[in-house]
Amino acid sequence: MSISSRRPRRGPAPGMPERRFPLTLVILSGGVIALVAILGVAIYNTTQDRAIATTAIEGVKVFPGLDRGHQDGAVAYEQTPPVGGPHNAAWLNCGIYEEPVASEYAVHSLEHGAVWVTYRPDLPAEQVELLRRQVRGNGYVVLSPYPDLPSPVVASAWGIQLSLEEAGDPRLNAFMRKYQQGPQTPELGAACTQGVGTPSQR
Amino acid sequence: MTSMETTPNNAPERGGITNILVIVLVALSVALGALWWLTQPPQEGDPAVTFSRDMSYHHQQAVEMALLLRDRTDDPELRLILIDMALTQQAQIGQMSGWLEAWGLPITGPQPPMTGQMTHGGETMTMTPEMMGIQPQSEVNKLATLPVSEAEVLFLQLMIRHHRGAILMAESTLSQTQRSPVTRLAQSIIAGQESEIALMQKLLADRGAQELP
Repeated sequence: MSISSRRPRRGPAPGMPERRFPLTLVILSGGVIALVAILGVAIYNTTQDRAIATTAIEGVKVFPGLDRGHQDGAVAYEQTPPVGGPHNAAWLNCGIYEEPVASEYAVHSLEHGAVWVTYRPDLPAEQVELLRRQVRGNGYVVLSPYPDLPSPVVASAWGIQLSLEEAGDPRLNAFMRKYQQGPQTPELGAACTQGVGTPSQR
Repeated sequence: MTSMETTPNNAPERGGITNILVIVLVALSVALGALWWLTQPPQEGDPAVTFSRDMSYHHQQAVEMALLLRDRTDDPELRLILIDMALTQQAQIGQMSGWLEAWGLPITGPQPPMTGQMTHGGETMTMTPEMMGIQPQSEVNKLATLPVSEAEVLFLQLMIRHHRGAILMAESTLSQTQRSPVTRLAQSIIAGQESEIALMQKLLADRGAQELP
């Protein structure tokens, strides 16, 4: 039963100094290094997949507890542009609009998971073009001018808003990726077509 | 243990390092095992799997009912709600089928839909499709044959019941699983269908009709 009797090389030979790094330690250290590496890669992979969804965007404001009822006619909203609240029974079709759109429809689109990108009507043409380039091809974005906007560009999702000074701000792209049908969406899977409004482009 | 007595003098120090390494190795293995386990897809019988199948089946009836009536009614408000319901629920069916596909599980379960266990108000009970708001096909078929104004009322009555069942099923699932895409959809179904019930109650009242018990 004695291990040492079957494995005589385990200890140093009598009278010989201990020099060799013992095999057990080599195997164990190797195992630890290998597992740390595997665990590191595994954790990196699982968190990296979720980076867009979990990374906070600087400057984003959150407005909780918004009413979701349907209401005919004009609605007075607390935020400019609105980020939620009562809205029309019809939603606004997503896409690019050249003229301001009715907030009562756009808010319904926010409820369906749309991001609404608004800009001051006097925003320089090249800035507007930059916005269009970024919005084009996104299925759940409305782009429209909005009079008397508090900052040149404002991106809104249901209960969430980000004010920007210019169209080239990289946070706009991060906002669109994070919040189009993002975790804030009250009605997941709802459409941003078949509603009202005819966008000039999508 | 007698062999310990014959080990050289420096053995306790090396034994200490060995022990520490063994402990670290075991801890890392446990962490890796936990990570692997946490990222595993759900298996047959998991509440997330049952929910995906049951709710897909449930949504199919809603899409059928909504499109049957949308082909007939001219009421603009109702037409909008009907297309909203059909598109939303069809998209959610796609989402749930996609999960099953990614989890490597068939869309059809070993038992008929909505016959498993559910929890409601802390009690566990066996589901039935009726309890979950599935309407008899004979009633659904009437949406295509009744005069339109009667079909509209019947639709609202049936769909309120149907929605109540979906909410019950989603709530039961929320108490049984923490799997994030599933809980997120379940919460969205509860929020969305609760507000649609309120809307349909108003439309029923507009038509001078009552809800079914």
